[in-house]
Amino acid sequence: MSLAATRMLARDWRGGELGVLVMALVLAVGLVTGISAFTARLQHALERESHRFLAADLVVRSGGAMPAAWLEEAGRRGLEQASTLSFPTMVFGAGDAMHLASVKAVSAGYPLRGELRFSTEPFGDSQPAENGPAPGEAWLDSRLFSLLGIASGDSIGVGDTQLRVTGAVRAEPDEGAGLYGYGPRALMNIADIPATGVVQPGSRVEYRQLFAGPEKALADFRTWLEPQLEPGQRILDISEGQPGVGRALERAERFLLLAGSLGVVLAGVAIALAAGRFSERHTDYVAVMKSLGATSRDISLLYGRSLLLLTVLATTGGCLLGWGLQEAFFRVFAERLPVQPGPAGPHPYIVGATTALTCVLCFAWPPIRRLSLASPLRVLRRDIPLAVRRSTGDYLLGLAAVCVLMLWYSRDWQLTAAVMAGLLVVVALGLGGALLLLRGGRLLGMRAGSLWRLALGSLQRRGAANALQVVVFGMAIMQLLVLVLVRTSLIEEWQLQLPADAPNHFLLNIAPEDGPRLEAAMHAEGLQGEPLFPMVRGRLMAIDGRDLPTREEAGEGEAYQRESNFTWSATLPADNRLEAGKWWDADTDQALVSVESAYAERMGLKVGDTMTLRVGEQSLVVTVASLRGLDWESMRPNFFLVFPPKLLESYPATWMTSFYLPPEDKLFLNKLIHAFPTVTVIEMDEVFTQVRGIISQVSGAIELVLFVILATGALVLVAGVQASLDERMREGAILRALGAPRARVLGALAIEFTALGLCAGVLAVISAEVAVGILQVQVLDMHYTPSPWMWPLGLLVGAALIGVLGVYSARRVVTSPPVAVLREL
Amino acid sequence: MIRAEQLGKRVSVGGGELEILKGITLEIKGGESVAIVGASGSGKSTLLGLLAGLDVPSDGTVVIDGTDLAQLDEDGRALLRARCVGFVFQSFQLLPALTALENVMLPLELRRQADAREQAEHFLDRVGLAERTHHYPRQMSGGEQQRVAIARAFATRPAILFADEPTGNLDTHTGERIVDLLFELNREEGTTLVLVTHDVGLAQRCQRQVTLEAGEVLGVA
Repeated sequence: MSLAATRMLARDWRGGELGVLVMALVLAVGLVTGISAFTARLQHALERESHRFLAADLVVRSGGAMPAAWLEEAGRRGLEQASTLSFPTMVFGAGDAMHLASVKAVSAGYPLRGELRFSTEPFGDSQPAENGPAPGEAWLDSRLFSLLGIASGDSIGVGDTQLRVTGAVRAEPDEGAGLYGYGPRALMNIADIPATGVVQPGSRVEYRQLFAGPEKALADFRTWLEPQLEPGQRILDISEGQPGVGRALERAERFLLLAGSLGVVLAGVAIALAAGRFSERHTDYVAVMKSLGATSRDISLLYGRSLLLLTVLATTGGCLLGWGLQEAFFRVFAERLPVQPGPAGPHPYIVGATTALTCVLCFAWPPIRRLSLASPLRVLRRDIPLAVRRSTGDYLLGLAAVCVLMLWYSRDWQLTAAVMAGLLVVVALGLGGALLLLRGGRLLGMRAGSLWRLALGSLQRRGAANALQVVVFGMAIMQLLVLVLVRTSLIEEWQLQLPADAPNHFLLNIAPEDGPRLEAAMHAEGLQGEPLFPMVRGRLMAIDGRDLPTREEAGEGEAYQRESNFTWSATLPADNRLEAGKWWDADTDQALVSVESAYAERMGLKVGDTMTLRVGEQSLVVTVASLRGLDWESMRPNFFLVFPPKLLESYPATWMTSFYLPPEDKLFLNKLIHAFPTVTVIEMDEVFTQVRGIISQVSGAIELVLFVILATGALVLVAGVQASLDERMREGAILRALGAPRARVLGALAIEFTALGLCAGVLAVISAEVAVGILQVQVLDMHYTPSPWMWPLGLLVGAALIGVLGVYSARRVVTSPPVAVLREL
Repeated sequence: MIRAEQLGKRVSVGGGELEILKGITLEIKGGESVAIVGASGSGKSTLLGLLAGLDVPSDGTVVIDGTDLAQLDEDGRALLRARCVGFVFQSFQLLPALTALENVMLPLELRRQADAREQAEHFLDRVGLAERTHHYPRQMSGGEQQRVAIARAFATRPAILFADEPTGNLDTHTGERIVDLLFELNREEGTTLVLVTHDVGLAQRCQRQVTLEAGEVLGVA
């Protein structure tokens, strides 16, 4: 049997269905494997990248020293460790000069991840440092040198001790933590802390214990550690930081998953069509084998084995394709890649193989299994009905398979439900609409010439089968349209979000009197900044008179006291959307506040609530006047709380702004810092380059995936045309035998397929418009934009593609002698 | 070898019932050759299908080689066919995906016969196609295809051979040569031959002729 099985398989390739079946499987597996490996590798890379921003793999933050037992346990588990201690204090320089500094004391080994950079002179050439300052030494922020009136080699006073300044600290991997902190950085060795005498019980100190090591050991340690954490001790998550990249990647992943799922649906349809036609064509062979004594088991084994062999081949091919796709992709983009892709692991290939098996079992196996039920009597009588036709159960099984796969890929029932609902509507509307359209075609055709009558009559006669075909074609075209549309708007929105000239530098702590001077300095350089925003630091203490707990005391999800930057504005800031309540009059003297809506949700605030705030030493009670929605990815200064000008103007404020600085003008920063030593500069250009790099990479991946799905869609069309080919070929051959000229037979076929394509196109554009609307609004958090250009395109693509494909596939009707066609079928 | 008692076959057609065969009783002895003759639509092929166990009767019983077919399910009948039945069809019914040799090997492989290849080659040689073992059906003429079918039918050395209009798709000359081959092998192998035909000449070469008309036995000669 095995000889016959492989032999038949090899020869059956000629029939075309097996080719379609295997190609569809290979594409489906390649698609999901590639997508899965791509996102896994990129995520792995980003995760490692975010470790860099923590200076470790795992960080525990605490208000007090860590228990020694933790450090011992970490040592036992083979983890590297380092400690940091941060606090604000006055540092003393030459003469009476002193300044508030944000001191960070670090142990040997810091940083465990990422890079610490220093220079021997302020603003000098920076170089990487293996360790922080040695005991007895300190590195200062460049601008502290002039503020304290010292030079490299001089000493500064920190508390009760003197430290020699041996360099300027230029970059810390985890500096993000202290952005809005207490002045410029002073870095020292943790061994000198006792000598300073500044750290006393009750003083505001933040301890951080840094750990790094193998993933498994870290995870185990984390599991061990978590139950022992007390209030005030917290494990810092790597997801903190890089929100821009995170969001872009999350959306891209959703899109890719959606695309992948649709790709699998398309492949499933192609597989089902191919397997169905394969079974129909093999019914007669099975009848012969049965007449020769083959049992149902023999038949099931024969075809089951063949199918298994094909599945193994296609899975291997698909996994290779998936691996190749993402590998080639990462290679091509290697230079533009801001992060090194990590390993993909075996998971993507497991996903691929499971997909292949599910597709085969749910789409291909049902009709092929029923081959064993074929009646041997067909060897005597061809009119015995085929047992292999699909039943309702088959369709339900296919539907269930698609649902489960989609849910498995996306782990998002909302997305799954949206897509499934869309597909179901297409099928229901499609079947009805297609029947109606085809009937209309018949009435029209009755008055037309004989060529048209022939074609439309043939369409009408196979009404139900044709309606099904229109739905299949329509579904394929719709999915392609949906993906093209969503991809276009997704990439456009990304590009809008982070245009090349988005502000990439932020200036904080601008003294009110420096504002005009600073603007003038920027103007002189030809730099266009955002307006200056006033900034007052304050703390939310109570809501509606109820005191809030501190962050350490607060339970999970509970609102707590928190510090943030307040600003004032007479008008609604640009890009903000009023979501509830109303904006105040420019000159109101009421105590009002406008709250960012996500912040309001976290704190449980609504319009009309009162908030008790502490600004400096004063207490302030305000009423929530409105809720604002804003776009955190706009890279403009954004604020949780905005107040009317008259309310805050009397409080001590600093100002902030942001601006775009081209890379070639970076030296301007030195001038700026010299002229305005108190201003803090935050450079975001590197982060943005990284975000842009990842977005361009993800956009590229989307294009690639789209291309693979286009190929799958084409396969569905081929499989669909093939499915109805036998009958059309037979009719064509009979017509030719009766003396119809080739041109007429071919013309009738062309009209028939083009009409099918046109119907499919109409169905596709209607449903694509609806589906895209729902997806944009519900799933991808975007705005709905209608796409009128899709209408002519969809109709044209439908008619042309299916017309050409159909005529091409059926060309044998006119190129081979009618008798050969009739004998073969 | 084959015994049919009160065989009847009815099919439902558009709500009503159509009686194709009724009350057919027939006994065919081992080694005998019997022709079933009759006009188109007289029920010849239906009777053949019932006698060979390809179909189940509405009434009556068929016993082949001592086994009552009514006691067997579809797979049981398949096993019985594998053991003792061979077929030659009007439209040859070769599998287009297999070569001549592989087509002949197929029933032998279904019986899990170890010397399938040797046996197949022997019978292809016997029908004069030793040179064409690796050709595919579509590369052969109708006569050649039917000779492959005959080799396939005899390869398992069946006790009974059913032939359904074996010359129906062939010209007169080729048809005669095929018939000669069929009877020659039948003699050599001592096979029981049941043949359906409307060719009077062919029917008369059988030891007995059963004439059907409108589903009933009109006469046995």
